[in-house]
Amino acid sequence: MADTVVRIDSLVKRYKDLIALDHLSLEIKEGEVFGLLGPNGSGKTTTINCLLSLLAFDKGEIEIFGRKMTPTAYDIKREIGIIMQNVAVFEELNVYDNINYFCGLYITDKEQRKQYVEDAVRFVGLEDFRKFYPRKLSGGLLRRLNIACGIAHKPKLIILDEPTVAVDPQSRNRILEGIEELNRNGATIIYTSHYMEEVEQICTRIAIMDKGHKVAEGTKEELKKMIKNTETISIEVKEPSGEIMDQVGSQPHVYLTEYTDGKLKVYCSGGKHNLIRILGVLQEHDMHIGRVYSELPTLNDVFLEITGKALRDKED
Amino acid sequence: MFRHNLKYSLLAGLRVRQVIIWLLIFPIALGIMFKVAFGGIYEKQDLFTTFNAAVVMPNGENSTLRSVLDSIENGDDPMMKFTYTDAENAGKLLCDEKIEGIITDTGTELTLEVAGNGMNETILKAFCDRYNANVRIITEAAQNDPASVPAVTAALMQDIDTVNTEDLSVGNMNYYDEYFYNLLAMVALFGALTGLTVAVDNQANLSALGARKNCSPTPKSVSLSADLVSRFALQTVCMAVAVTFEHFVLKIDFGDRLGLVYLAAILGGFLGVSLGFAVGSIGTMDAKLKQSISTSVIMSFCFLSGLMKGDMKIIIEEHVPVINRINPAAVISDCFHALNVYSDTKVYFTKILTMVIMTVFFSILGFIFTRRRKYASL
Repeated sequence: MADTVVRIDSLVKRYKDLIALDHLSLEIKEGEVFGLLGPNGSGKTTTINCLLSLLAFDKGEIEIFGRKMTPTAYDIKREIGIIMQNVAVFEELNVYDNINYFCGLYITDKEQRKQYVEDAVRFVGLEDFRKFYPRKLSGGLLRRLNIACGIAHKPKLIILDEPTVAVDPQSRNRILEGIEELNRNGATIIYTSHYMEEVEQICTRIAIMDKGHKVAEGTKEELKKMIKNTETISIEVKEPSGEIMDQVGSQPHVYLTEYTDGKLKVYCSGGKHNLIRILGVLQEHDMHIGRVYSELPTLNDVFLEITGKALRDKED
Repeated sequence: MFRHNLKYSLLAGLRVRQVIIWLLIFPIALGIMFKVAFGGIYEKQDLFTTFNAAVVMPNGENSTLRSVLDSIENGDDPMMKFTYTDAENAGKLLCDEKIEGIITDTGTELTLEVAGNGMNETILKAFCDRYNANVRIITEAAQNDPASVPAVTAALMQDIDTVNTEDLSVGNMNYYDEYFYNLLAMVALFGALTGLTVAVDNQANLSALGARKNCSPTPKSVSLSADLVSRFALQTVCMAVAVTFEHFVLKIDFGDRLGLVYLAAILGGFLGVSLGFAVGSIGTMDAKLKQSISTSVIMSFCFLSGLMKGDMKIIIEEHVPVINRINPAAVISDCFHALNVYSDTKVYFTKILTMVIMTVFFSILGFIFTRRRKYASL
């Protein structure tokens, strides 16, 4: 059984009348990549800020590495790496100096620090940009610098708060691969995001948050099992008659049918060969069938079913 | 840890654009502008240059008057030069502005005709009044007691002064130098902009950098102290550059105690930095708003100290003198003024002490408010 790295017990945080965190409890084990997933304003960043003792909270307890976290718990802070949502680097220092400065806040031995800084530069792929100032870096490279500043001291616990916001796909992939590598090297990761694909890709365990509550927690497989939907079949077809819709709806494991935007959508709960049976019904009625696809449930479906709303807006 | 923070704080601080613009380029540019604008006025400060007057004696030669006027004209740097002519030519010279006035000996007294009302006309009037008064005294003495005339004349020759003059100044009393003192005061107070960054860069609720620093195992007191010391050091360099440029390039006369001028400038800079640190630390407004507040506060202080309106400090002194005692810009410029005007350094060191007290007060205030450990919101 892995040791508990982070334990949050019944955390409450209020902003005047707004309850930002409502008795939130979490336990994160050593070696996990723990995802905090939720829409904007769900309380992810507030949780992180409380965890880091930046924010005062109204109630609850936070322990990291088995010790109570406080603003002056420097021995705990020494083992934590933080990558903020906003890029936090000095505009006036070049890439190398920035990493060296932040690493120096944790590592006092110069020789060791030099090695760590080089490792960090290589890790984020900024070898060719050592002397560049942040304003000369692209958004993706800047994010990589931000990450290097947070992990250069080789922390045991790394907290990444939406590190891929406004990042191009190439840099995003590189960042996600980097996070997986950090985890393989032994670091426990806490990763917050409203991008469900990222969370699904890298997180070993996930907590879904909404309005300051933890609405679900588990591995992605466990989370998907929590909901009724196991498969959504979409078929491009001319609008079927009521009789056909009834026949499709009466097939085994089908619990909902709908026709929108030229597509027949069939929601199934469990079972096998659902697609073959539904296509059979349509062929019986000589329906001309266009494109057909079958989708497995996503974390968005999980969120939708639990909270009744989409995880994020379409433009995200 | 302190040295590491100090090193990078200095490195970063040296490259902050606002330091270069407001603390190095701006004072040099404004100093040059002042020099250009006041250059002509400086030359006009040579108040007692020789001027011309015409003397008309329609009743014939007055040897007494002539000898008095000759004594005024003699010497290496005479105050007046006289042209002896008739009334018509004298009037023409006055119209042509070749002379400042016409002194006419009517036989009983001197009369004066002038075309303007400046310093030279006032001197001519004073001369005529004094001459007429002396002539009356001697005439009366001759009529009443002729034997007393030599004694009376001798007494009149003695210039009895009822005012005991003591020269307190070792420097120049140039009114326009006040503008340069105020410029230095403004540069010193612009240090508030860099002082503000000490607070912003160390508070998690004001910047991402502050949040990252707060997450590190470096105690806030260490980070704050290093940043503050680095800003003091940067401000010292900027003040030294400003004083050096004004004194050695623009040739502004700071008197003969340049070391004390540098000391006042540097301490003034410390006061500016600590003021910004305090403003940045108080309240939960965002960094940009705090920067606007700091700039407004600096400009208000500078306005009240007379940078924009030369006699503002005098007006304040007449109506609300306490403002001049607590306005950092006024305290700094008064310090330079005191150094330049008084041979005694008592006033200077009083102002220096005031600056030190204010710097300590603002710094402590900044530390108290910035060292809070948790924030209600970020």
